[in-house]
Amino acid sequence: MSITILGVEFEIYYLVLLLPVVCGLFGYLINRLRSEFNFLGFILTLFFAIKIFIATRTGVITAVPATMFGIDFRFYMDSLAGFILLFNAIFAFLVWLYCLKSMSKKPGERVYHLYIALTLAAANGVVITGNLIFLLIFWNVLVFTLYGILLVGKKDSSFAARKAVTIIGVSDFLMMLGIVILFVKVGNINIPADPKLLLSGPWMITAYILIMIGAIAKAGAIPLHTWIPEAAKVVPASTMAFIPASLDKLIGIYLLVRISYFFFDITGSVHLRILLMIIGSVTIIAAVAMAMIQKEAMRLLSFHAVSQVGYMVLGIGTGIPIGIAGGLFHMLNHSIYKACLFLSAGSVEYRARTTDLDRLGGLATKMPITLFTFLIAAFAISGVPPLNGFFSKWMVYQGIIEFGKVSNLWPIFLIAAMFGSILTLASFLKITHSLFLGERPKELSKVRETRFEMVVPALLLALLCIVFGVFAYSLPLRHLIYPALPFGIVESGFWMPGLATILVIVGMIIGLVVFLFGTALKPKRSRVFIGGEILDEEAARMTGPNFYSSVHTIDMLKKTFEFGEAGSFDFYNYLNAAARGLAVIFKEVINRLIGFIYESIGKVVKNLSRFLSFLHTGELYNYVGWIFLGGIIILILLVL
Amino acid sequence: MIGLDFFVDRFGIFLSALFVFIGLMSFIYSLATIRGKGHKLEYYLMLLLIVGSGVGVALSYNLLLIFIFWEISTFAIWRTVGYYRKGDSSKAANITFLVNFGAAAIMLIGLVMLWLDNGTFNLFQIKIYNDLASTFILVGILAKSVIIPIHVWLVPAYKSVPAAIGGCLAGIAENLGVILFLRLFSTGQYFSTGFFSTVAWLALASCIIGGGAALLSNDLRELLAFSTISQIGFILLGFAVGGIYGIIGGMLYILAHGLAKAGLFYGVGLIEDATGKSDLNAIGGMLKGSPVLGVSMAFLIGSIVGFFPMVGFWSKLGVIIGAVSNSAYFGIGAIIAAVFTLLYNIRFYSKLFFGQSKGKVKPLCYTGLTVIFILALISLLLGIFIYQPVDYLTANGGLL
Repeated sequence: MSITILGVEFEIYYLVLLLPVVCGLFGYLINRLRSEFNFLGFILTLFFAIKIFIATRTGVITAVPATMFGIDFRFYMDSLAGFILLFNAIFAFLVWLYCLKSMSKKPGERVYHLYIALTLAAANGVVITGNLIFLLIFWNVLVFTLYGILLVGKKDSSFAARKAVTIIGVSDFLMMLGIVILFVKVGNINIPADPKLLLSGPWMITAYILIMIGAIAKAGAIPLHTWIPEAAKVVPASTMAFIPASLDKLIGIYLLVRISYFFFDITGSVHLRILLMIIGSVTIIAAVAMAMIQKEAMRLLSFHAVSQVGYMVLGIGTGIPIGIAGGLFHMLNHSIYKACLFLSAGSVEYRARTTDLDRLGGLATKMPITLFTFLIAAFAISGVPPLNGFFSKWMVYQGIIEFGKVSNLWPIFLIAAMFGSILTLASFLKITHSLFLGERPKELSKVRETRFEMVVPALLLALLCIVFGVFAYSLPLRHLIYPALPFGIVESGFWMPGLATILVIVGMIIGLVVFLFGTALKPKRSRVFIGGEILDEEAARMTGPNFYSSVHTIDMLKKTFEFGEAGSFDFYNYLNAAARGLAVIFKEVINRLIGFIYESIGKVVKNLSRFLSFLHTGELYNYVGWIFLGGIIILILLVL
Repeated sequence: MIGLDFFVDRFGIFLSALFVFIGLMSFIYSLATIRGKGHKLEYYLMLLLIVGSGVGVALSYNLLLIFIFWEISTFAIWRTVGYYRKGDSSKAANITFLVNFGAAAIMLIGLVMLWLDNGTFNLFQIKIYNDLASTFILVGILAKSVIIPIHVWLVPAYKSVPAAIGGCLAGIAENLGVILFLRLFSTGQYFSTGFFSTVAWLALASCIIGGGAALLSNDLRELLAFSTISQIGFILLGFAVGGIYGIIGGMLYILAHGLAKAGLFYGVGLIEDATGKSDLNAIGGMLKGSPVLGVSMAFLIGSIVGFFPMVGFWSKLGVIIGAVSNSAYFGIGAIIAAVFTLLYNIRFYSKLFFGQSKGKVKPLCYTGLTVIFILALISLLLGIFIYQPVDYLTANGGLL
């Protein structure tokens, strides 16, 4: 598939790589025309992504432009790649639109747009390559762009950037080892493998696990997630919406699906499936528990960005078609609603200049559209029907239940998934309340609705949440998810989205009526009386997080939470500690020992020469004595 | 027995081109930074000798000729390490000379033993190896290429050498050992004996221990020294595990490491000149004053760590493929070393360029910045257009 521009024929898949880079670079260099160049770049990339997507619906695009050393630099685009490519371009465009205003006149704005373009190009590269080493190249480029984009922060974000690059870099090296093992043992590492490799023998399993680590580290599963909450404190909302919330999920889960079902065949290995499901369940529970106690909007959302990965990994780990489709669908849904949540929260931050939940509240009347987008996305993430998040979770549950035929561990996974869902809902009630309902602090009285350019992306994403929920089967599942997977999917379970939608809409109308007549918007005020002292209303304000402070104080959990907040579960800290511990042994023991040996040799030589110089006294008698002694020895030797 | 036996093959041309280029960059950097009264005449002579001896080793096929260039190189390093003529630098120069010279003397014994066995010093005609001779030669190789346990001279040498020559040391002089190893051992019949796995283990130990020691170093130059120990370990690992991937990976590693380490050394030299300090904890916030230096050094560090758009990715990939093909343990060790590389480099970079700026910073010299920028750019371009160097090295069986 090619297209002719100015008489030069371009293959269309080069364009999705080159256009963002070229336009981004021109935009960076010619600052005056930056928006124009970027707009051109993102729109054209979107256009070509759509073209590729349409083409992949009917067939596979593949090409081998170069071969070096047994490595095929090969492109391979099937419908899975096509739909990920499409959403890469959509998210990049929306986030760019958003940060036109949100990053305006902030330090690092110019280079920020370049990084968005480069990240898009690298993510596209990951998706369209048909060879694992070729894929690793783009995976590596993402490390550079991640470092760069994280360095553009609200505050000094160098530590978060360092942490992110360390974690992602280490997982990259592990993934590299896995790919190299495959390359050496199998020889052919083209995607998809034909026939699929069996997960038998230690080599194949090691290789699979190593590549899987790379994939889930990118997606942000426990324990390789810790850079995400760290970054949430210091980088702009658009970065969070773009990288950890959407693009990283898309390509991380893409790689997981690719290696699990196109390259290897994980369905044959129950142990690996259970391993994946355990990672998924732990991720769901641990991250959502940490989210409950956060007092800062971005950080809270970032823990959910981790927690939701658990559903995707869980679904993909089931090895049951409906579960895999659910995991993939959840990835798509998560990218949409989490990007929407971050962007909406970013709008609040843009106007209110804080994301501290204790200092926010009552913005519902001031920012109604943002409230709408946030609420829709919050319902979607909590799995409220008929929004998209519900459907994908439902499919994951189906997959887990069907997994019961394989292993009787399934109730644990199911309970973890459902419990996680409940906690998610609870923490979203908390954050919605803290941001939009309740009492408004005095300093927020001048807050207005956010800018047009920032509203549009969030609104579009919120609408997408609704559309993907209400028309779940007829739109996303039929056109995006099912064609992407290499097996037919039998929908099991009874679920009629139409009926459910009607029921929910009726419910919502009733709720709205209650809401309008009720006092949700106007908190009830009563005089505070403490021992005769009259308290200022502001001081007596009940903030959102206070409602949930009791979670903190349950004795058993308290210690765990304290540990968690102090970084005791942080992979980065363990990695650093282990590395430093080994380093101490290397430097202070081994290196010093070697140095000591050399010094000892030096000392021996010195002492020997001192002894020899001692013999040279300079007195004639001594030398005469030596001569006689020598003569006697020679004589004895001659005689013998 | 000895003549001017030069032989031109693709490896030789590749290495000579690299050495001359690094020498040129070093020369330009020296023009800007070697100031004041001093022994400039001697300095530039020694710079040329280092480059010349590197090219000589790369292009000659007579072992005795190689040995002569080897000793010229040792002599030139000795003079340049002691360039500042202060107490410490004289001592460092003496350590450098003694270790290198002593090891070279042992190597000479090995070379003579090879000559006795084979009756020739010609690299292409040496067919009979014995382990004792090989071990003696290995001592010289390890000392020159700072592989553990004969790496002790590097830290004092780096601490006292002018930064301009430091680039040459890392990019040229220390590669001579691994080049001799490649020429003498890796291509012959001798391969796949226990000798090679011993060398590979030594190289791996060097990678990991050097990387670990660099993680704890607070002195800029000490860090660079341990980093070099670690990186040259990777090169030797590639050559010792052999195979086309290991050897081409090792060659690319010489390229990547030479360019990147020279650039880093110049960068460190600039930073030392500007701040007057060489303690990692006493410097910070350099990015604000000099974004060009920051970006260039980020690229160079990326090349050392081995992330894609930089040429260092390909070299590391090649060495790791070679290592895994040989034995899985080598592969795992190489990855551990790579993780150490990542950790100490990111620490180095974060501490230098972020955080609070401490103390007064003089403006950086533009010539030096340009040199570093060129090195970073070339590392980047070579990483993207990797096909050309690889194709050059592998075409026609390595012959012209």
